Amino acid sequence: MSKKKISLSEEELVLALRHREKIAVEALYDMYSASLYGVICRIVVDEATSEDVLQETFVKIWHSFSSYSADKGRLFTWMVNIARNLSIDKLRSKDFKNHNKNQELENNVTFIDEQRNTVYKPELMGIKELVQKLKPEQKSILDLVYFKGYTHVEAADELGIPLGTIKTRLRMAIIELRKNFN
Amino acid sequence: MNSGKILIEVQKVEDVKAFIESGILELYVLGDVSPAEKQQVEAMVQKHPAVKAELSEVEKALESYAFANAVEPLENQRNKILNSLVTNLADDATFTKKGTAADNVVVMKAPANNFYKYAFAASIALLIGSLVALFNVYDKLQKSNLQLVAMATQNQRISKTVGYMNEALGVFRDTTFKVLKLKGTKNLPSGGMTVAWSPVKKKVMIDMTALNMPENDQAHQYQLWAIVAGKPVDLGVFDKSTADSSNMKQMKSVAAPTVFAVTLEPRGGSVNPTMDKMMAAGTVNL
Repeated sequence: MSKKKISLSEEELVLALRHREKIAVEALYDMYSASLYGVICRIVVDEATSEDVLQETFVKIWHSFSSYSADKGRLFTWMVNIARNLSIDKLRSKDFKNHNKNQELENNVTFIDEQRNTVYKPELMGIKELVQKLKPEQKSILDLVYFKGYTHVEAADELGIPLGTIKTRLRMAIIELRKNFN
Repeated sequence: MNSGKILIEVQKVEDVKAFIESGILELYVLGDVSPAEKQQVEAMVQKHPAVKAELSEVEKALESYAFANAVEPLENQRNKILNSLVTNLADDATFTKKGTAADNVVVMKAPANNFYKYAFAASIALLIGSLVALFNVYDKLQKSNLQLVAMATQNQRISKTVGYMNEALGVFRDTTFKVLKLKGTKNLPSGGMTVAWSPVKKKVMIDMTALNMPENDQAHQYQLWAIVAGKPVDLGVFDKSTADSSNMKQMKSVAAPTVFAVTLEPRGGSVNPTMDKMMAAGTVNL
């Protein structure tokens, strides 16, 4: 927080990353580490493991950056899927399962929010409140797929509701977010 | 035809709408689609700006949601992660600039090589220079030593000569000495020698420089005699050689000789002189 953080536009950042510039690495971290870590630590929970996954995520982003194409979507979408996949891989690895045998994963999101200082940026103050306006059934599905790494099929199983309903609720939840954010 | 085209357009719009409303774009953004669905979405995004716009909206919404739920990693993670990336960055740089790096190695190497080359050459030159100087000094020393030896020899010779001359001068200056010429006999008509004799000091000297006699062989020596009261007295033997002739040779003492004579005797001398081998003789004039 004390350090001056580097911020670039997404286009500038992508260009700098393509040119393998050092400043791109710093900007990438300063711009996205917290939002990526928010996803990672809600899936992984264990702090040391989450930090490992965050590092793996940045390494993978850096190394496989040539496979990112702006035509197929936004940079963050690509990065957050890397973070989510690495988190799920870590969670499903045998070592981690043994290590965290007794870890209750049920209420990750609430747990994380209680345990850590989530970022309350002034520009996001309103957003925080708006997120609370999501209907509980919308929020639970969104959090399952976004912050716990469930597929929509797994979420349907978990919540005991049909696939079609899951898809609709997910879409409605995101439309609700769009109303508030965009 | 027109109505048909419009129908197709309407159908297309309906398709796009249905596609968007199916919720597949949301799942695509969440990475929760099969490879076939993924291709389908990407094709639709390329084809229909409406799909592309919708996708972008979904992405932005979820991105905002992630930002709203961001968790700041601990401060120490920033350096740790950036360092691991910068290490990779350095690796990448090394990899992509392999040729340049290799060139650099050569460039770095070349001056180092030259330095040692020059240092080695300088060392050799210095060594050769030192050897030459050493040889010169040694040569001079040798010459000096030779000169010194030559001078010492010369000095010796001079001092010897001076000694002899002093001796001779002493003898000739000494008024008690009488100088007697011994003339060659019929055996040696052209020969002769000089004897100095001091009746006071009873000393007899032969002037070897004035010894005008043939060289004796290894089996014989000249023997000096004095006739005292009619009898021959042995005064010692001497040699005539070219090597050593610059001397006043002192012979045995004699009291009152009347005659000095020299005979050629077997080496070591004889008790009595061999009269027919008398080479020179001189009478003392009192």
